[in-house]
Amino acid sequence: MNGPSRRAVLRGGAGLSALASGVLAAPAVIAQGKPFAGTTINASCFQTTFFEYLKSYFPQFEDKTGIKVNFNMQAFPVYNQRTDLELSTKGSALDVVNATFIYTGRWIGAGWLTSLDAFTKDPKMTPADWAPEDFVAGTQSAMQNAKGETFAFSWEGGAMIQSAARYDLIEKAGLAMPTTFDELIKVCDATHGKEGVSAFTADKLHHWNWIPYLMGAGGGVFKAPPENLTPTLNTPQAAQSGEWYANLLMKYGPDGLLSYSDDQAMRSQMSGRANIRTQSITWMVPLAKHAESTVQKTVRYGLMPSGPAGNFAGCNSHGLGIPAGSKKKEAAWEFIKWALSKETLAMVVKDHGYPSVCRLSIINSREFKNVLTLNGQDVASLYLEVLKLGGKSGYMKYRTVPIYPQVGDKINKAIERIATKQQAAPEALKQAQAEAIQDLQKAGIKVDL
Amino acid sequence: MQTLAVVLALLALAPFLWLLLMSFKTNAEIFRFPPRLLFDATLANYAALWTSEFRNSFANSLIVSVASTVLSLVIGVPAAYALSRWTGRGGGTITLWILASRMAPPIAFTIPYFLVYRHLELLDTLTGLIVIYLTFNLSLVIWMMRPFYDQLPRSLEEAAWIDGATLWQGFYRIILPLSGPGLAATAILCFLFAWNDFFFALILTRTEAMTAPVAVVNFMNYEGWEWGRIAAGGTMIMLPVLVFSFVVRRYLVHGLTGGALKG
Repeated sequence: MNGPSRRAVLRGGAGLSALASGVLAAPAVIAQGKPFAGTTINASCFQTTFFEYLKSYFPQFEDKTGIKVNFNMQAFPVYNQRTDLELSTKGSALDVVNATFIYTGRWIGAGWLTSLDAFTKDPKMTPADWAPEDFVAGTQSAMQNAKGETFAFSWEGGAMIQSAARYDLIEKAGLAMPTTFDELIKVCDATHGKEGVSAFTADKLHHWNWIPYLMGAGGGVFKAPPENLTPTLNTPQAAQSGEWYANLLMKYGPDGLLSYSDDQAMRSQMSGRANIRTQSITWMVPLAKHAESTVQKTVRYGLMPSGPAGNFAGCNSHGLGIPAGSKKKEAAWEFIKWALSKETLAMVVKDHGYPSVCRLSIINSREFKNVLTLNGQDVASLYLEVLKLGGKSGYMKYRTVPIYPQVGDKINKAIERIATKQQAAPEALKQAQAEAIQDLQKAGIKVDL
Repeated sequence: MQTLAVVLALLALAPFLWLLLMSFKTNAEIFRFPPRLLFDATLANYAALWTSEFRNSFANSLIVSVASTVLSLVIGVPAAYALSRWTGRGGGTITLWILASRMAPPIAFTIPYFLVYRHLELLDTLTGLIVIYLTFNLSLVIWMMRPFYDQLPRSLEEAAWIDGATLWQGFYRIILPLSGPGLAATAILCFLFAWNDFFFALILTRTEAMTAPVAVVNFMNYEGWEWGRIAAGGTMIMLPVLVFSFVVRRYLVHGLTGGALKG
């Protein structure tokens, strides 16, 4: 039996090579329009409606770039715990993370997130019309370091406003939405208990809810954050404000208020059990829009009341960033660029009525105004006003210092002790001051003593 | 006296009954004030659990808890027997070292475990969780079972050996059946530890191996909590433990006090 001749083998080999090179070359040709074809990125955030909405558009992104997105959402505390651990060990399991407001100081300061300036300043990676400057300054301040480098772009702006679930009761009393602390007490006095409705409600996160009242009364948490973190909880202003706020909660709040979560406080308004609350817009819009709300017709909105020292409405934001350990940073940037582009955000607002976007061009759009015109009120303008307020004077810097979660915990406990009459306000806050100093010193932070 | 016992039992059960009732209510009904004892019950919360990721997490919890319990018993019971019958020096020291994994709070092991698991690619795997629970449960098994074997007279197994049984046969046929109550009590404690664990499941899993306790927390969304599903999930998590405890309750009481009789 004759075997194949050498010429036949060579010819066959050449044919196979040609075939192989053709086959192997094909994907490169096909993928020219999708340079990331075959790439999968892992992204993570806490459970939120924004990303639930965004997920429905993922096929568009995958079609456009070839990048597959494995997006995972967890409960707020679960996400923060896991991501903190992942980032602190410089892991590469995640390519896109949510930069949680209270952790931004820690994550950016420790170098656990990637500077996005290299991406935004490179025209090949980011077209000019993507416009980083379009993000409201107030929401971006927490996403930057002291040098002004940007590490995340905001997808949610939490602007603290005031809502009155039963504004009809205020009208009946011949009053209007309170604009000052004194007016707030006057309205509460006039309406508390009417038709079984408590005049005020809040959740137990006093280190978020009380601080605007503390600042309005001329106090503060730290001396000059982020440079000087000496706590200022033992001042007369803090004691006076702590007493005032605890009284607001206990005298005008529903039973059990001191243990309320965010959601319980919102439900107390939605069910018509409580009237006024000062909190981020995220928990205010459902009063007018949620199917289970019994106060859709009676709810009205206003700015956070001002104190003698001014208006210091709470303002926070959450952003999308890239972990320092990610091995797919360019693909991750493609995702962030798409998710927070004007076009995508406009779709989310138009299709789902999402109320907390951070791009000025969207906030000023007709669609957004429509979404946030609630009972004839232009709530979009209130939202923008607070976001700008937060960015202007930088009074929210107290909240993004890495030590704030520990100090905030001491504040929560102090307000609880005052509200339950376990301690008088000066003593409770002096104790919080001493505990906060201990925390700071343990963390190696210098304080003025 | 009986009335007092019933009142106390009702007081102790009140939170669980409240949770159970909540699981059959809509969100609007849950927040109705004052709450009603009679309401239109709904199974929507349970149906929602079944169509969500909770179903897989529940299965993960079952697999991990049963596997770690069985493995702990398979390895730990012979070890406890061997330590009980150890006549040489060092038995006590070894037993003490076995308890080392319980000597520090779990948080102390977090970073090392996380790094080792990442290196071994065991993060977010059922195997990883089973191994973790095994390391913690093993000391429990050994420390609970050793006093049982100490109680049993050596003459029993010696009689079996005289009759021609091997060491293993003596243990398997004579000693093991006598330690039934202890095994039941130990098994339920191991199962409970693995079943109720939140911390390690939180740190060492992501999506694939997530267990039920972590999955329930995921109903606490940023903008609002799904109270009905949380209650339904909580009820589902309690159910296997209740059933298991009910089935072995006779052995459980005997087993928990059995080891304490010696001395």
